[in-house]
Amino acid sequence: MRLLIVEDDLEASRAMVTGLSEQSHSCVTAPDGLAGLEAARADQFDVMIVDRMMPRMDGVTMVETLRRDGDRTPVLFLSALGEISDRVAGLNAGGDDYLVKPYALAELLARVEALARRREMGSVQTMLKVGDLEMDLIAREVRRAGVEIDLQPREFQLLEFLMRHGGQSVTRTMLLEKVWEYHFDPQTNVIDVHISRLRSKIDKGFDRAMLQTVRGAGYRLEA
Amino acid sequence: MGLPRVFRTTPFRLTLLFLGLFAAAAAAFLAYIYIATAGEVTLRADARVSREMAALEAIHHSGGLAALNQAVIERSFGDRPMVYLLMKPDGGNISGSIGKSPVEKFDGEQTWTTFTLTNPGPDGGMVRQPARGLQERLPDGYMLFVGADVGELEFYVSKILRALWGAGALMILLGLAGGLMVSRDVSRNTAALTHVIDQARGGDLHVRARVRGSGDEYDELAIGLNDMLDRLERSVGGLRHAGDAIAHDLRSPLTRLRARLEAAMIDAEAGRTDAKAALHQALEDADGVLRTFSAVLAIARLEAAGAAPSQTVFDPAQLAASIGELYEPLCEDKGLDFEIQASPGLRLKGNREFIAQALANVLDNAIKYTPAGGAIMVRVRRRSSGDVEISVTDTGPGIPAEDRGRVLDRFVRLENSRNEPGAGLGLSLVAAVARAHGGHLDLDEGPGALDGGGPGLRVALVFPSVS
Repeated sequence: MRLLIVEDDLEASRAMVTGLSEQSHSCVTAPDGLAGLEAARADQFDVMIVDRMMPRMDGVTMVETLRRDGDRTPVLFLSALGEISDRVAGLNAGGDDYLVKPYALAELLARVEALARRREMGSVQTMLKVGDLEMDLIAREVRRAGVEIDLQPREFQLLEFLMRHGGQSVTRTMLLEKVWEYHFDPQTNVIDVHISRLRSKIDKGFDRAMLQTVRGAGYRLEA
Repeated sequence: MGLPRVFRTTPFRLTLLFLGLFAAAAAAFLAYIYIATAGEVTLRADARVSREMAALEAIHHSGGLAALNQAVIERSFGDRPMVYLLMKPDGGNISGSIGKSPVEKFDGEQTWTTFTLTNPGPDGGMVRQPARGLQERLPDGYMLFVGADVGELEFYVSKILRALWGAGALMILLGLAGGLMVSRDVSRNTAALTHVIDQARGGDLHVRARVRGSGDEYDELAIGLNDMLDRLERSVGGLRHAGDAIAHDLRSPLTRLRARLEAAMIDAEAGRTDAKAALHQALEDADGVLRTFSAVLAIARLEAAGAAPSQTVFDPAQLAASIGELYEPLCEDKGLDFEIQASPGLRLKGNREFIAQALANVLDNAIKYTPAGGAIMVRVRRRSSGDVEISVTDTGPGIPAEDRGRVLDRFVRLENSRNEPGAGLGLSLVAAVARAHGGHLDLDEGPGALDGGGPGLRVALVFPSVS
């Protein structure tokens, strides 16, 4: 993937490049909003990682300008401002996701990949398929290798999110945000319990476990 | 500049303004009196002159010129307060009490004039008085002038003037004195408030203005100022406390983190150990420090803001169901009985996200401390006072009554919970959320000891009712 990192904290920028290059993504960096705007116009990127507060031009202005020009590249905002109103302002400006500093590298990676994937899928789907697991979004039915699996509504939503990001790591925070729509960190392992219930439903009786735990990051649905 | 302070105060300037306005009004009043009085006495003089003229004309008509001349001479020497002059058609005098007619431009028929009469005054001197006169041509061509002084006009006016001057001087004196008194009073009152502000600005946030209880503007100002200082002191205190708390509570994990890294570095340099495990531990420690920091920040922000931002009206039962759905599997896994009892149709005004987090924190704690086989109940109901209560009751060890107030203080963790993870900020954050919605947090005993378990704990978030 080609990524544009717009961040004035060069130390943080370097750490991101190190982590993202490790996953064989290629990164271009810009130290402020104006430079970021130029870089974004000069080239095509899969995802842009944009800090909110920067000298010369802040991230919100930069993304608003790009969106006015018709640039639809997914944007992940990074910010030290974590209040709901800050988050809403970032998303209103045309951001696609919002990550509050400090963050774990695994969280950043997972979100960047999720954003890129969302763009790939583009059109509305009615069927999701990961390996031998199939989800019919209209009939609300799930089958694995042709065998129907009975899921609770929340389990269905959880699986839908995992299937939409099949093969990618998704973090616990992402699941809490996207499936339950809560933006706080639970102290206990609430998400883990939901995952293990789902796992028991989709992996039980099959040789291969699809729903895997990724150490230090979260979960991944493998085909 | 050089004036004493009291003369530069706003009330004193206002006093001067009102005195100026009063002087203008008095002048206008005086002018009106003068014009009205002068008009009246002139009219009366004119009437007297007209009557006299008619009488003399009647004499002339019946007795001819000789009779008129006789009458004029008699009247001139009488003690009537009038003047007469009978003139030939060419203007030469015949008889009368004045030597020359004051009429300068005679139109040939009948002309009124205003002139000055010099009469002997009561004290022997001469008094000049305004007078009115009428000159007429008689049918046979002779001319007759009759004049009368307008009498007491000057006297009236000077009396009124004197009265007005006296009243005005008194008024100005009283006004100045009143203005000075008001200025001094205002100065004294504002000086007290200014003094409080100066002290607060100097950093002393304990000072308060004195409220005299009179309920006037100064009291309102003082109450407003005190309220502002209360809030300022609270939020500065909160920040200071947050600063102290952060310093206190972050120092130990940061020290631990640093020591661990240092030891790992020595070991790694000596080739004794793999640095990976140490780094892993360091990351975990750093995350813990960050979590503590976030919680302290959230509390400080809520307390500084006074009220939670982005408030909406929602159904608390629905919120409880949603959070309950999130936590129920966890309870089940731990072997805890989980139940939600919610009255439907209640309305709560607040920041849904914060209240959800508060409830999640309380549930987190309940699940953490309740041993397997216990039970947890979430209850949403309206209190008889109308307040909305969201409570979580568990059958865990509970909190001794004497410690219940203390656990709401930041970073206080009771001895028996030291081995559990967490920064000890959970309940203080919950209490801060309740306060930011005008509510409070109640801690109480649970259902009582069951099967050798603890007395349990009931944590209730109480919110004011939505009007």
